[in-house]
Amino acid sequence: MRRPLGRGLHGLGLLLTLVFALFPFYWMVSSSFKAQADLLASPPVWLFRPTLDHYAAIWADQKVTTAVVNSLVVASLTTLLAVVLGTPAAYALARFEFRGKADLWFWFISNRMISPIVLALPVYLLARQAGLLDTYLVLVLIYLTFTLPIVVWICTDQFRAIPPDLEQAARLDGARQFDVFWRIYLPLGAPGIAVSAIFSFIFSWNELLYALVLTRRDVQTAPVVATSFMSGYELPWGKIMATGTLIVLPVTIFALLVSRHMIRGLTMGATK
Amino acid sequence: MSYLALDQVVKRFGAHTVIDGVSLAAEQGEFVVFVGPSGCGKSTLLRLVAGLEEVSAGDVHIAGRCVTDVDPAARGVAMVFQSYALYPHMSVRQNMAFGMRMARAPKPEIERRITEAARILQIENLLDRRPRELSGGQRQRVAIGRAIVRDPKIFLFDEPLSNLDAELRGQMRIEIARLHRTFGATMVYVTHDQVEAMTLADRIVVLRAGRVEQIGSPAQLYDSPANTFVAGFIGSPRMNFLTGRVAGLEDDAVRIEHPAVGGVLRVPRRAARAIEVNAPVTIGLRPEHLTLAEAPARLALAGDFAENLGATSQLYAQAPTGETLTIQVPGRESVARGEALQVGFDPARVHLFDAGGQAI
Repeated sequence: MRRPLGRGLHGLGLLLTLVFALFPFYWMVSSSFKAQADLLASPPVWLFRPTLDHYAAIWADQKVTTAVVNSLVVASLTTLLAVVLGTPAAYALARFEFRGKADLWFWFISNRMISPIVLALPVYLLARQAGLLDTYLVLVLIYLTFTLPIVVWICTDQFRAIPPDLEQAARLDGARQFDVFWRIYLPLGAPGIAVSAIFSFIFSWNELLYALVLTRRDVQTAPVVATSFMSGYELPWGKIMATGTLIVLPVTIFALLVSRHMIRGLTMGATK
Repeated sequence: MSYLALDQVVKRFGAHTVIDGVSLAAEQGEFVVFVGPSGCGKSTLLRLVAGLEEVSAGDVHIAGRCVTDVDPAARGVAMVFQSYALYPHMSVRQNMAFGMRMARAPKPEIERRITEAARILQIENLLDRRPRELSGGQRQRVAIGRAIVRDPKIFLFDEPLSNLDAELRGQMRIEIARLHRTFGATMVYVTHDQVEAMTLADRIVVLRAGRVEQIGSPAQLYDSPANTFVAGFIGSPRMNFLTGRVAGLEDDAVRIEHPAVGGVLRVPRRAARAIEVNAPVTIGLRPEHLTLAEAPARLALAGDFAENLGATSQLYAQAPTGETLTIQVPGRESVARGEALQVGFDPARVHLFDAGGQAI
């Protein structure tokens, strides 16, 4: 008797969690297809005649398309730089002993513990001082502060799992340090590098707070534009939801496609 | 100077000394085996020769050149690792070519050497496979092939057979011996398996706790072990040890006393080490030198149990002083627990060691 009951409770728990996690997502997507009247109906309507009006509206809005391009540029540049800078750092952390290694490692992990809002104002002041407000560069730099640790963290773990014998065999084969990194560690660490690149891209793509604080007009990213609809005298829920869906959908599809690798990336280092 | 020479080599990791002043020499074409228990420093010593570890003191010479501070790749050595250390993302051909590609050798030359090595090792049909598509034995051949292609001055083997099953280990052992004969190359081989050491080596270096216990041919180590450690390590089953007393001394013999001998036994001396009357002495007897047949000397033992190995049997018996002895006899002998056993031996086959464990 206890077993079916336990299983039932387990299923119920899972269902509640799923509803909790997915309902906002469902509400956003379904709202993006509702006409204005259905959107504002109270009580809410569950069955409605879908419309693509909001999508047509945002497609016509150059602000949105520019913002999507900006998001693409910032997220791609950040990811590229995070991988280019992070993988050699991860190799060094995985294979060499040097002074301050433990502190550096702690720093990489611990800067995920600081709430971004704490740093928003100082970062804003710094960026203004340096004349970097509303540039790609400032977003890429600030995003690197949290994507670089992700790359270093995941890749260090991946590189540590590569048997040291391979490096020694390569050294005996005449490979220099860079050859070892380039020809042995990078190809063998590819799964971890790919996972960390995916995370970097998703985090950069979704980031709102710094984009909101550090951009004005030229390089506003998609999440910023979505929230910008909220200002003014009306709340165009349809446009906001359609933009939100457009932002989230590609990343969600991508994440579902590579979910197996992502779970592997998340559990890297959890077991030895 | 010898082809490979180690001169007072020391290796420390922090305060811990792993290799403690090792000197040895190997001639060109010689097969030298480093043998010893786990943690004795034999792999570290090999890695010092390869240049994968830096020596803390002392020098390494290869082919007349001091290579102590020379990069591993420039030492002219190739190593076969215990784990094979094949590059998993490369095909067998790419694995074998890697070293020559690093040295920027011309492509036709690389291809020629790979084809030749593959022919010798009979792995021609595996050249386009990845390491994960190979069996343990095939991987081992590829690892050896990768070493051959580099045409090194010295081949280094770090416990290359320990990941293989018993049957394959036997085959590969023969193959390595054959390769040594074919190439006439200098080979240094690390193992903890004394059967591999005895069958492969021209010379064995027995190591313990970072020090050389004895260097010699397999026969020398077997016939004249320098101390109880070497005596116990070389030979299978292990040598039996009894603790007796020196009853008297002659010019070329020692008279010893032990309750199992039933009086005094005259044993010819093997080494010129001084010993005094009444001093304790360790009596070493190899299991295969004991017999149930008639012999010049006898031990009175109490039987314990027997292990049947097919062609031979191993009998276990206790001396009156409590030590357990192993007796290896042909055929299928059995022994009852507590049964009185008269075990024969030739006093000339007895090894004697002083209280410090050194041969006398």
